[in-house]
Amino acid sequence: MAQNINPHYASSSNPAKQNEDTIKLKDNHAVSKRLQKELMELMRCADKGISAFPESENLFKWVGTINGPPDTVYAGHKYKLSLEFPNSYPYAPPAVKFLTPCFHPNVDTCGLICLDILKDKWTALYDVRTVLLSIQSLLAEPNTQSPLNQQASYLWPNQAAYKKHLDEFYSKHKDS
Amino acid sequence: MSFTNEELQEHWNKITYAFPILKDTLCTDCTASEYESILTLVTGLGIQVKLRDLIHIHIAKYIRQQLAPAFWNKFVTVDDDMKGFQLFKSAVNDLYESVNSFTNIIQRLTLLNNTCEDYRLKCGERDIASSLKLLIGATLHSQLPLDFQLIINQFYKISFNVFDNEYENSDMGEEMICSGCSSEYSECNCAYIVKVFHDTNRKLMDLDLLERLTGQVLTDFIQTRIETHIQKTCTGTFDVSHINNLENWLDTTVMSWLTRIYCGGSSKPPPDNKHIQDAIFKFKLKLISYLYDSYTKLRIDQLFNIIIEYPDSMPAVEDIKFCLGKTDLRLTLCKKLQIALETRLLHPGVNTPDILTAYISTIRALRHLDPSGVILETVTKPVRNYLRNREDTVRSVVSSLTEEGAGNELAEELAKYATESTEGIEIENDSTWDEWNPDPVDADPKVNISDRKASDIVSMLVNVYGSKELFVNEYRTLLADRLLAQTVINTEKEIRCLELLKLRFGESQLHFCEVMLKDISDSKRINALIQQDKEFESLNKKIVSNAMILSAQFWPPFKDESLELPEEIKIHLEAYTKAFEALKGNRTLSWKPHLGNVNIEIEIGDKKLDLTVSPFNATLIMHFQDKPEWSLEDLHQAMKVPVTVLRRKIIYWQSLGLLSEKYTDYYILTEGGDGNKSHVSTNQVQEMVCEDDEAESAMASAHDQREGELQVFWSYIVGMLTNLDSLPLDRIHQMLKMFASQAPGAECSLQELRQFLDTKLRSHQLVLQGGMYKLPKT
Repeated sequence: MAQNINPHYASSSNPAKQNEDTIKLKDNHAVSKRLQKELMELMRCADKGISAFPESENLFKWVGTINGPPDTVYAGHKYKLSLEFPNSYPYAPPAVKFLTPCFHPNVDTCGLICLDILKDKWTALYDVRTVLLSIQSLLAEPNTQSPLNQQASYLWPNQAAYKKHLDEFYSKHKDS
Repeated sequence: MSFTNEELQEHWNKITYAFPILKDTLCTDCTASEYESILTLVTGLGIQVKLRDLIHIHIAKYIRQQLAPAFWNKFVTVDDDMKGFQLFKSAVNDLYESVNSFTNIIQRLTLLNNTCEDYRLKCGERDIASSLKLLIGATLHSQLPLDFQLIINQFYKISFNVFDNEYENSDMGEEMICSGCSSEYSECNCAYIVKVFHDTNRKLMDLDLLERLTGQVLTDFIQTRIETHIQKTCTGTFDVSHINNLENWLDTTVMSWLTRIYCGGSSKPPPDNKHIQDAIFKFKLKLISYLYDSYTKLRIDQLFNIIIEYPDSMPAVEDIKFCLGKTDLRLTLCKKLQIALETRLLHPGVNTPDILTAYISTIRALRHLDPSGVILETVTKPVRNYLRNREDTVRSVVSSLTEEGAGNELAEELAKYATESTEGIEIENDSTWDEWNPDPVDADPKVNISDRKASDIVSMLVNVYGSKELFVNEYRTLLADRLLAQTVINTEKEIRCLELLKLRFGESQLHFCEVMLKDISDSKRINALIQQDKEFESLNKKIVSNAMILSAQFWPPFKDESLELPEEIKIHLEAYTKAFEALKGNRTLSWKPHLGNVNIEIEIGDKKLDLTVSPFNATLIMHFQDKPEWSLEDLHQAMKVPVTVLRRKIIYWQSLGLLSEKYTDYYILTEGGDGNKSHVSTNQVQEMVCEDDEAESAMASAHDQREGELQVFWSYIVGMLTNLDSLPLDRIHQMLKMFASQAPGAECSLQELRQFLDTKLRSHQLVLQGGMYKLPKT
């Protein structure tokens, strides 16, 4: 008897599981739509100095690029970041980290970023664009009170020395 | 009962004396009284049935072995028609005579048959004579030689020539050769031929062989005659209906031949002979249907020309319509016309307006031909597909829609639509229910009937693209061009046209155009107001300016070209802007310096020129007013115009003899000097150059607009290349399809994308390295 059942029907005979799947799919769909929209917005506005695009066909993994803000020690530098969106996006923040090693008081050696809006201050009103802009402005105005990189935090007040070290660091690591 | 051999021999001799056929001859001296006694003998012996059957067998054998071979032996291939004629005649004569020689036997056989109890006849014929005829016919056919038609052909050819001559010629007096028998008049043997002809036919008819032997040849002959007649009378002229003439011709000329053939010379069928009447009637039906068939085929071959000449060719269309109902040629018509359209219309050598004209008359003619619209739909499909691929189709349609004047059918059509749509649409529904017809068999069942019928010419053209928007956009661009090109504008005409278009496309679609027209009249008013402005008046003494104030939101995008105006003009325009701002709070002007016209007066030496030129040219010459010598590079700096464009513009002034090139890329003002030389051609040059200027549209063309749409993609492409470094073409295409599908004009083929990226490569906005596209390093 059992072998006469079409495996297709057999597998779908578990209604609970199927239901779960569709909910997940539906959610995914809503998130995809939101991300799609954000991408369009981003492409339309084309802000100077920030940019992001899905890494591959997967809409949940993006690569972002931030140019160092002009008139700061980071001017002329270019940093790549990875953005990973959870299924609960936009109700949970994306996981953002630097791909290009970044010498900065609030960025650790693995590229993790200490920024409040990526943690507890996150709201659904933020989007990729605002996240990238926030990170860009974080480069210019680090929070030296809670540093992840002690050396950077220590050097920061001396901008000339900081710049020297930063440039060396950047030219050594920019292609990795 | 028993007989000795001698008795038997005696009886047999007597029987063979009465029926010599048993010895395979026909001649006998047996008289009727002698036969009677022999018959009694036969009946006395009780062998009549056997004897009769034996005689039948012998007759059949005789016919098979003597008659038929003798007949067919005459059918040898000869080159001379006349010889063939004679051969056929003698063959028929001989046959007729030998059949006649059977009369005796037939009589006796009939008597013999009467004594038979079963009174059986061979094949259910009425009497022995007709069964004999049947036998002859069958035997002849069984021995049919392959080329028997050749001689029959020759025979009828000659006879028909004579006939033709009798009926159709009256003014051949001058010629020495009788066109009937192709011999000189003095030896004309037409009369003889006619006599022989009728004679032979009568004999064949008697033998019941006429149709069997000659039917095919006869039909072929008459059909060829019909064809040549149709060709002769109907080629080239489409403005007369031929159907009635042809029917008449068939009735009088052809049918009278036929009757004569069948009736052995008399022009009327014998009233009592039902058989002949029937035969003629059937023949006529065949011929009439053949007539329709060949006429329709001829017309179908000419259909393309007929369509081009429509509505002058209306009678021809009527004819085809009539004939289509009688023949089975709809499919042929569709196919042939489609092919004709494709080969004659749909190739790059034909101008789009010409294709459109042809398309329109096709629509009209086929509408008339087939009110259901099915043929039209099938036939014009390739035309529509082709038009869709032509770049200037929309432009041509729109311009012919809006241009007024004689011969512009589309504009008339548009106006007609306006009047029709206001009049009764409601009448249609109820009163015509009894005229309903089902769709033709070849109709596409998916398409709604009313759709097919209701669509008029304009909407059919619009539907080439499937969307009204494209047309409306193109109209907008065209309108903008016209409004800007004219210095004095007759807005009334444009408004009328716009109103007509509104009826068709709806108010909302054409809202933009309305605003544009309003802009024009508003700018006139505002101009007048600003000129009165006191502060402005003082400035106005030097230069008089009229601005065209356009609402940027509503006008199609302009071509962007940079042009730095001279300081003097800039000040003037700023003052104008101020005056405008004072007049209209919260609004300002942004100038498009490269559009418009400048009237300038040039005094140089003893020359004085009045010119209307483009702002480019005016700026150029104004620079020379301050400083008589300029290098191209300096001009480029001063005017912010690309060097290539500058060089082109300078040619205009060079041709007027005002500027000359001192050395490469260095120009000076020439005062007087060799002005005389160039003075002559001034007008000519002016015309030429102006023409060149006019040909350029101020608006971004549809092509440019598409470019603009692709520009949206560009931001995506930049986005992905900034973040993902380098990508191959198909990945870019794939990504665009995935992520940019909501952008306007999202459909973009790989081909189109490659071309677009190529332009970007050329302008160094992109780098191609090993099949991967990259952004250049900054």
